[in-house]
Amino acid sequence: MTGITVPAARAQPVDRTRAKRKAAWRRRRLVLVLMSPWLIGFSVFFGYPLVMSIYLSFTHYDLLSPPKWIGTANYRYLFTQDPQVGQAVKNTLWIIAIMVPLQVLFAFGVATMLARARRGVGFFRTIFYLPALAPPVAATLAFVYILNPATGPVNILLQHLGIDGPLWFQSPGWSKPSLTILGLWGVGNIMIIFLAAVLDVPRHLYESAELDGAGPFQRMRWVTLPTISPVILFSVVIGVIAGLQYFTQAYVAANVASGQASQAGDQTVNNLGYPEASTLFYPVLLYQHGFRYFNMGYASAMSVMLLLVAFTVTVLIIRNSRRWVHYVGAAK
Amino acid sequence: MRRVGIGLLVALVLGAAVIAATARTSANAGTSAAKAKNITIWVGWSAAELKAFKGVVAEYDKKHPEVTVKVVGGINDDKITAAIRSGKVPDVVSSFTSANVGSYCNSGAWIDLKPFLSKDKIDVNMFPKTSQYYTQYKGKRCALPLLADVYGFYYNKKMFKAAGLTSPPKTMSQLTAYAKKLTKKNSDGSIKVAGYNPFLGFYAGNAPDLSAYAPLFGAKYVDGGGKSTISRDPAWNRMLKWQKSLVDWYGYKKLQKFNAGAADEFSASHAFEIGKLAMMIDGEWRVAFIGREHPSLDYGTAPAPVDDAHPELYGAGYVNGTIIGIPKGVKNKDEAWALVKYLTTDSHALAIFSNGVRNVPTTKASLSSKDIKPDAHFKTFLKIFANPNSKTTPITAAGNAYGSLIQAFAVKYQAGHAGDLQGGLKKLDKQIDAQLKQAQAGGVP
Amino acid sequence: MTSATVPTTATALARRKPPAAVRRRRFLLAVANHSLLIVAAIAFLAPFVFIALTALMTNSQALSSHIWPHPFRWQNFVDVFHQAPIWRWALNTMIYACLATLGVLVSSIPVAYALSRIRWRGRNIAFGTVLIALMLPPVVSVVPLYVMWAKLGLVGGLGPLIIPNWFGDAFSIFLLRQFFMTIPEEYLDAARVDGCGELRILGTVVLRLAKPAIAAVALFSFLYTFNDFFLPLLYTRENPSSWVLQIGLSEFRSLHQVQWNLTMAATLLVMAPVIIVFFLAQKAFVEGVTLTGVKG
Repeated sequence: MTGITVPAARAQPVDRTRAKRKAAWRRRRLVLVLMSPWLIGFSVFFGYPLVMSIYLSFTHYDLLSPPKWIGTANYRYLFTQDPQVGQAVKNTLWIIAIMVPLQVLFAFGVATMLARARRGVGFFRTIFYLPALAPPVAATLAFVYILNPATGPVNILLQHLGIDGPLWFQSPGWSKPSLTILGLWGVGNIMIIFLAAVLDVPRHLYESAELDGAGPFQRMRWVTLPTISPVILFSVVIGVIAGLQYFTQAYVAANVASGQASQAGDQTVNNLGYPEASTLFYPVLLYQHGFRYFNMGYASAMSVMLLLVAFTVTVLIIRNSRRWVHYVGAAK
Repeated sequence: MRRVGIGLLVALVLGAAVIAATARTSANAGTSAAKAKNITIWVGWSAAELKAFKGVVAEYDKKHPEVTVKVVGGINDDKITAAIRSGKVPDVVSSFTSANVGSYCNSGAWIDLKPFLSKDKIDVNMFPKTSQYYTQYKGKRCALPLLADVYGFYYNKKMFKAAGLTSPPKTMSQLTAYAKKLTKKNSDGSIKVAGYNPFLGFYAGNAPDLSAYAPLFGAKYVDGGGKSTISRDPAWNRMLKWQKSLVDWYGYKKLQKFNAGAADEFSASHAFEIGKLAMMIDGEWRVAFIGREHPSLDYGTAPAPVDDAHPELYGAGYVNGTIIGIPKGVKNKDEAWALVKYLTTDSHALAIFSNGVRNVPTTKASLSSKDIKPDAHFKTFLKIFANPNSKTTPITAAGNAYGSLIQAFAVKYQAGHAGDLQGGLKKLDKQIDAQLKQAQAGGVP
Repeated sequence: MTSATVPTTATALARRKPPAAVRRRRFLLAVANHSLLIVAAIAFLAPFVFIALTALMTNSQALSSHIWPHPFRWQNFVDVFHQAPIWRWALNTMIYACLATLGVLVSSIPVAYALSRIRWRGRNIAFGTVLIALMLPPVVSVVPLYVMWAKLGLVGGLGPLIIPNWFGDAFSIFLLRQFFMTIPEEYLDAARVDGCGELRILGTVVLRLAKPAIAAVALFSFLYTFNDFFLPLLYTRENPSSWVLQIGLSEFRSLHQVQWNLTMAATLLVMAPVIIVFFLAQKAFVEGVTLTGVKG
């Protein structure tokens, strides 16, 4: 549309500046056209909700009657009275402090093994990556079945070995570890990134380290880890952000594991967080308040807090990372 | 790579074509004045029960050419609430959870039916007392009863005979003794047949909010001033202790494994129906399920056993109604009301539906209607329904949110994670009172 | 983008023959490494195998302690379609995934181009907003957005799921921008000398050169929406005619009162499309994932 070429040389200098200005204006218009989806998208789907969230968090709003200003009551209830929020925060911290690091470690371990393999790299890579593609709902359903304490294949196999298997998703002590196993299974994305990074480590660095008499572990410590540290940082940040939003697996697992309730039970039983609120993560609680009870005001207060925490945590990680992340010269 | 790109493009174009088509079909939900109006009704029933309900509606449909009724089954309260908030509502909704009527009436999510009732001169005294209670909140009637569920006792006669037992237990201590007698274990110590499975969350009779047990212990939820009395009424303490003692006798973990291996409650492999469970508390609907799925099962029904301290309660049980109403934002109010009126007050409709799903009919006239097919098992439940001590859960402004709090505590206690029982109940009272206060103030949760 | 290939320098270095003891140790290490890999591979595959086996069991067998189906009940895969409107769910899923993917491409490519190949004031700030959007948990904005969609009367349908994708997706913009940056300026200058406007350059030169990145973005977007559960749950849970496969699957058991064998058959069916797409486009996937990590 704007592909018309600028009229060629005109004699007068006045005209040239005007042409220049015209070109600049056209350029600006082009940028505006190209950027318009994002300008609209960012303001409607990020800016507006942000401002609205803050406003709604000071109101009582059930979507039936207009929002009612109640000051800081939502925040006061959140910090002093809500009987569930403490548990939800603890559970979410568990995910961030235990599951995310385990995922990173595990992905790194598998990637290292893969990088060392001489044969079948492509084959193994496919197998390790495949679970990452499985839809979370399907994967969770499958794991709840596989880890069924009575009829699941894992406990049956354990029984053959003479081991009385745990209750997995049915016990508050094992539900989060069960979700972690599910999380490790689906770790393919990070694994592939690690694999590429490990393979990208310049060979000559290993060479010179070996000449200096470094063993495999020292090479790992002084060559591999520093070189791939940006990737580690990336996966930790992504992991933490994902951990703060951990929802689907928890929701489906609780729903299916609590299992027996289907018809009449569905309404009288609060399945979220089953068993014993051990899978009640912060976003699950937010869902309960916002989209089960439709306390939009209170849910907004919860999301404002989540936003603050997510922002702080991300900034902290990236700040601290300067001490241990090494950017190799050219990398952008 | 290129091939994938092309495939994707084809898929995208196809998708775009399809959405145009579906967008049109979903837009049809609106009304067209000239032709028959489309009325949608949401109900909780599914499978065979849904079929029975559709049969009742089909009769109405035939008699009323001015409307076409569409029935959607498998609905729960979550979906009803979400639909009302989203502004896209069906014309008539029905819920299995009468305890939620408080929040529906209080928030105005279901509209007040009073104008319709007075216009058509319907006296609510045509409904039994209990049903009147769970269809209003503080005098605001936003629902009507559409059949009720009554909980009673089921026992396997063959197993009773084999164990030398002749009649169903009448007290909780008898129930415990029978349960121990009827339980069979596998060689590895796991449970093969559970005499009675008291595990909270296992089937409807063990609803984790204890609702099915409360009337059997005469347990009171609130005092005259509306304060929670769970720590002050010793019945709750006795109930929880009895329940836990039986769980502990089996072993918590063993019972969990038994539950995990049991089939879904509403499938044909229900543990009681296939002989893996000798006794249970369950709703009257089970009579119809057994009739359909395992007609040769030799079983008996009776009122559920009661607290040893209150033998006079025997005969009572838990009542939970199905309620029906009109959501806020409905356009075809009059047509919706006509359907609600027919379903809830027409003796013939109630009777044939009751025959189909074997739920208790909810008008005084239909309770004694000749259209109700007699059935020895079912009669037990009609009697329980009529018992003056039969109770439903209290109707509060917070809906059944207090049930969630009771559940959270009871489930922890059963697992042995709750610590001191009396202290826990006191805390529970406080939480329930606080929650109710918030709900009444229309404030935070 | 070439990072996924095994470095070729390794072979050159291996020419120098190390002493026998070292070779022996290396051999043993390789064996240990490979055995570990095989064990891990079995563990990774096991869930798929269990799902498939259960999907072929009879109703009562799925509730017993047998692991191997006896007899094989292929009928399950037929029954699943009678139990639930799976075609309907699949159709909704395709509508959602395809239209969202199309929207992401149409809206994100121009933005990424403007953020990478055109110089203008405020570009860095604009890119900053993309990074912020990338970091923000979407959960944070769902409440006001739900209110907005409810006011517009679009809750219950697929609109709230699809429409935002037509206004730029932060992740895709980021990925494409990083890729566009790597295109040598000479190509673009050559086009400019030929008298092409920026849009023409974008439409021809850039799109042709950025094919792998665009394919990756399309795949990710498709996969993300195909697997999405949270947003469909929020916006369509009360309207079964708008359900996508993930919602249908999660409600499958309670809604249709079926046993594990059919549930697992349905699970397998829901997993199948993604796995097929993966095998068709494995290279694009791996390159795409690598792109996100290494370049970020």
